[in-house]
Amino acid sequence: MALLEIENLHASVGGKEILKGITLALEPGEVHAIMGPNGTGKSTLSNVIAGREGYEVTKGNVWLDGKDVLAMAADARARAGIFLAFQYPVEIPGVTTSAFLKTALNAKRRAAGQPEIDAMELLKLVKAKTAVLGMPYDMIKRALNVGFSGGEKKRAEVLQMTMLEPIVAILDETDSGLDIDALKVVSEGVNSLRSPDRAFLVITHYQRLLDYIVPDHVHVMAGGKIVASGGKELALELEAEGYAKYLNAAA
Amino acid sequence: MAVTRETAATVRDIEQYKYGFVTDIESDMAPKGLSEDTIRFISAKKGEPEWMLEWRLKAYRYWLTLSDEEPTWAKLQFPKIDYQASYYYAAPKQTPKLGSLDEVDPKLLETYKKLGIPLLEQQMLAGVAVDAVFDSVSVATTYKKKLEEMGVIFSPISEAVHKHPELVKKYLGSVVPYSDNFYATLNSAVFTDGSFVYIPKGLRCPMELSTYFRINEKNTGQFERTLIIADEGSYVSYLEGCTAPQRDENQLHAAVVELIALDDAEIKYSTVQNWYPGDADGKGGIFNFVTKRGACRGKNSKIMWTQVETGSSITWKYPSCILQGDNSVGEFYSVAITNNRQQADTGTKMIHLGKNTRSKIISKGISAGRADNTYRGLVRIGAKADGARNYTQCDSLLIGDKCGAHTIPYIETRNPTAQTEHEATTSKISDDQLFYCLQRGMTQEEAVSLIVNGFCKEVLQTLPMEFAVEAQKLVGISLEGSVG
Amino acid sequence: MKPSLITDHPFGEDYAKRLGVAPWRGHLPGPKVEEWRFTPLRSLAKIAFVPATADIDVDVIPRNVPKVPGAVRLVLVNGVYRKDLSDTDLGKGVELSHGKVAAKEGSSLVALNAAYAPASLALHVNGKAKKIIHIISIGAAGPTPTALHPRITLTAEAGASVTLVESHVGLPGEAYFSNPVASITVGEGASVRRYVSVDEDSEDFHLATSLVKVAGGGTYEGFHLGLGGALTRQEIRVALTGENANVRLNGAYALTGTSHHDITTVIDHTLPNCTSNQIFKGVVDGESHAVYQGRIHVARDAQKTNAQLVHKALFLSRGPQVDCKPELEIYADDVQCAHGAATGEIDPNHLFYLAARGIDPETARSLLVEGFLADGVNEIGDEAVREIFGAAIGGWLKRRQA
Repeated sequence: MALLEIENLHASVGGKEILKGITLALEPGEVHAIMGPNGTGKSTLSNVIAGREGYEVTKGNVWLDGKDVLAMAADARARAGIFLAFQYPVEIPGVTTSAFLKTALNAKRRAAGQPEIDAMELLKLVKAKTAVLGMPYDMIKRALNVGFSGGEKKRAEVLQMTMLEPIVAILDETDSGLDIDALKVVSEGVNSLRSPDRAFLVITHYQRLLDYIVPDHVHVMAGGKIVASGGKELALELEAEGYAKYLNAAA
Repeated sequence: MAVTRETAATVRDIEQYKYGFVTDIESDMAPKGLSEDTIRFISAKKGEPEWMLEWRLKAYRYWLTLSDEEPTWAKLQFPKIDYQASYYYAAPKQTPKLGSLDEVDPKLLETYKKLGIPLLEQQMLAGVAVDAVFDSVSVATTYKKKLEEMGVIFSPISEAVHKHPELVKKYLGSVVPYSDNFYATLNSAVFTDGSFVYIPKGLRCPMELSTYFRINEKNTGQFERTLIIADEGSYVSYLEGCTAPQRDENQLHAAVVELIALDDAEIKYSTVQNWYPGDADGKGGIFNFVTKRGACRGKNSKIMWTQVETGSSITWKYPSCILQGDNSVGEFYSVAITNNRQQADTGTKMIHLGKNTRSKIISKGISAGRADNTYRGLVRIGAKADGARNYTQCDSLLIGDKCGAHTIPYIETRNPTAQTEHEATTSKISDDQLFYCLQRGMTQEEAVSLIVNGFCKEVLQTLPMEFAVEAQKLVGISLEGSVG
Repeated sequence: MKPSLITDHPFGEDYAKRLGVAPWRGHLPGPKVEEWRFTPLRSLAKIAFVPATADIDVDVIPRNVPKVPGAVRLVLVNGVYRKDLSDTDLGKGVELSHGKVAAKEGSSLVALNAAYAPASLALHVNGKAKKIIHIISIGAAGPTPTALHPRITLTAEAGASVTLVESHVGLPGEAYFSNPVASITVGEGASVRRYVSVDEDSEDFHLATSLVKVAGGGTYEGFHLGLGGALTRQEIRVALTGENANVRLNGAYALTGTSHHDITTVIDHTLPNCTSNQIFKGVVDGESHAVYQGRIHVARDAQKTNAQLVHKALFLSRGPQVDCKPELEIYADDVQCAHGAATGEIDPNHLFYLAARGIDPETARSLLVEGFLADGVNEIGDEAVREIFGAAIGGWLKRRQA
């Protein structure tokens, strides 16, 4: 059974239909990439799956490991194993990264019937994970994302992903605003999490990210639909030829 | 700023207020002082209908009960005003009813020409219609015919009382009631002239409408009243300017302006206030007590106030917006410059009542010499104003160490979904900026003018083009002799 | 100018007589007094408070008083020093005495305090105090509404330093009106840290006045936490009387029910090269009413002043009211002064971010509220006190959820 199954998903924002029937299945261990020009609904898709308010699903279904995602509130979806790495992670002044991580981790552990983690254990865990990601451990003392550079914010997203161990991780334009070094670090973090019981949906505008996170499947999205699917070579083709022919197809 | 202090020692006796001349013209005046007789005199002079006189008398009788209520909360110091020592009506003689501009007294035309406001249509600024108010009466209104053809009413308010009583009755006092405050009540009793504007439904008025106020007579108060109604879907941009001769006595100016914007209408109201500010020792100058308020009555309506306040010895003025209609917008852009002994206490009130109402306040106060400059503002978000937004930015600049700059905002919020944001700063012109300009060959005053204009840019750029240039010059002139 | 006054409250005439001063000093400020426009005292004036007596039977310290590690406890019950409940060893450099208070200065509330304060709890600091001084002021009305007037005087000599914690709490009983006055003098180069927590019961009144003077090179750090009471006002007036003096004044409040909470600060910069920084943050729930007024006054001679002030309030529900009046009154040109104020509700983007990490809405809200207030609390220089005050806010949030 697919880990994430999207069936004929239609969604609108403020009465305007953005997603016009998306169907997609992420099998265990797979990495799917969704590419496409700006304004075709890529970010809408990630927001709808994660459950952001203001998006109305008018038709279709989303299943996570057999569970009805659309029936769940946003936080329940996250605890069930959906992780969204944000394109623009919010800055929350006053809330330390450590307090945030502890709360999030324990929310998930409680839901899974596991014992809560205490502050000391958390620190140990964070120390280990930040070392792997090549991040300064100190960062968890700072307010969440406040004053972080673009690269630091994306690394913090990956750190969270590492700790929350999702079933399905959605990376929304994770490469935007990253220089090549940061891109490598983030990609290595993601690759280290690839496993047979996890799937990834990588949303990106550029092929560059896919040099580092090599996908099993590539889909082209245009006009709220998936207009073409293929293997990783499709990404290279898009890089060379652009989106023009798909835009025409969608229109 | 050691260098600049030295310069200060050089006393400048250059004439700085170039509008300080007096026009020698014979006037028709009311007896000095204020009584029911004065009001009847004014009303009779204007040939007003009974209802107008009654309204005035009601206001006057109410004003008599306010003798202890003359506002004292503003940061202003001035001697107690003797309301019996003023004339409440003065009109240039021989101007009963004007058929056309050709009949205007040449002396008056000359006066306005000298002020830079040519009233003869062939000399006029293209696209600006002017109503010229001289002491207590309107002496000329230009482009009247052309505007009439489009359905725009632009006339002296005294004329509108006769020609459009239904509109005046309906809207006069509907934004600033006669009982509003001490000065507004006084104005309601004795107002003499002012402009009346009505923009019909759906019309985007293609011309800037403008009123030019001039106080000429000695010991005369000016009490004009302006009423602007923008009907559904209409737009108008209105400008006012004001000057007065240079005199040793203080003169009183207590005006009321009411704006009404109906559904989808927009009113842009710009003021360049350059009343005589008094001399360097604070002698003379206009006491400027003005009540200006706009009601965004309709949904999606918008009122925008821009003011450049450089004149008057005392300024007491808070152009406000009552945001009643859902999605309505109020904006206030202000530059207030005080120099020598001038005092200004000015700001705005933004009253949010409707849903998704938005307001923006940008205030730039510049204080020099021995002047005091206060921003005083209120932002009130009512319990029903869901989604309301306010942004306020107040910056003050001090030039010299004998002046004061004060910021007193009141922010009252009763709705959780509203967002208010207020920021204020006070600083001086940095020595680095000044030195940079001097090193590039500017004089001290050019440099200050340049830097201050930059400081005010956000406000000045909201003025209509014709006024913006004038205002920029005025900023420089107002600060002459201040560096030191 | 004669202020407008509430003249018909039950204790006014009596104390004016006691003081031998003009009758108006015996009255409470009315709503026409600008500094009291947002905090009406009508509800206070309606209750016939009687002057507190010391012989009330109190032998335990209420549970909501935190234990400050290693601190010396000094206990006031109804404004009267209770030796039997207090620690005796104040540590090196601190002396305790009990003096009479000079009566005729200050606002009518300060005068009221002077008329009734049994004696001032006077602390004299000479040198670096090792132990934190923890003053616990307990209001105990018993069967009749009671007015109490605690008086604290703290003098830090030149070069001295001390940390003071104040807990203002009450015992069950009738309503009381606590009218504490603290006079604090920070000597040249001295450093005083003062952390005040007001956690009165929902029917009690607390109108506190702090009068602080900071001499040249001195530092005063104040923090005011407000978590309850029917009507609470913390008025803090700081005069910087020497050059290079420095004040940091911060606070946090969390209100629910119909609590009215007022913070009024006046910082008076009279001489050059002084700095003042203020951060106040608050959350409002229920039908509560928060007031913040902050005035920065910079006199003609106070060149090179740097003064900053921020107030931010967060709405947790429909119903509360927040009135804010930050004020700059500047007479010197070479200064850097700024204030900022904002109100709003919890950012839905923040909530979604937390939800996307599996955190339920209620927990998310608590986390965000604590984070919002942390900006203020983090300004507390003493780490132990920072944790204690943080925990008090945590407790407030738990009570709110319960």
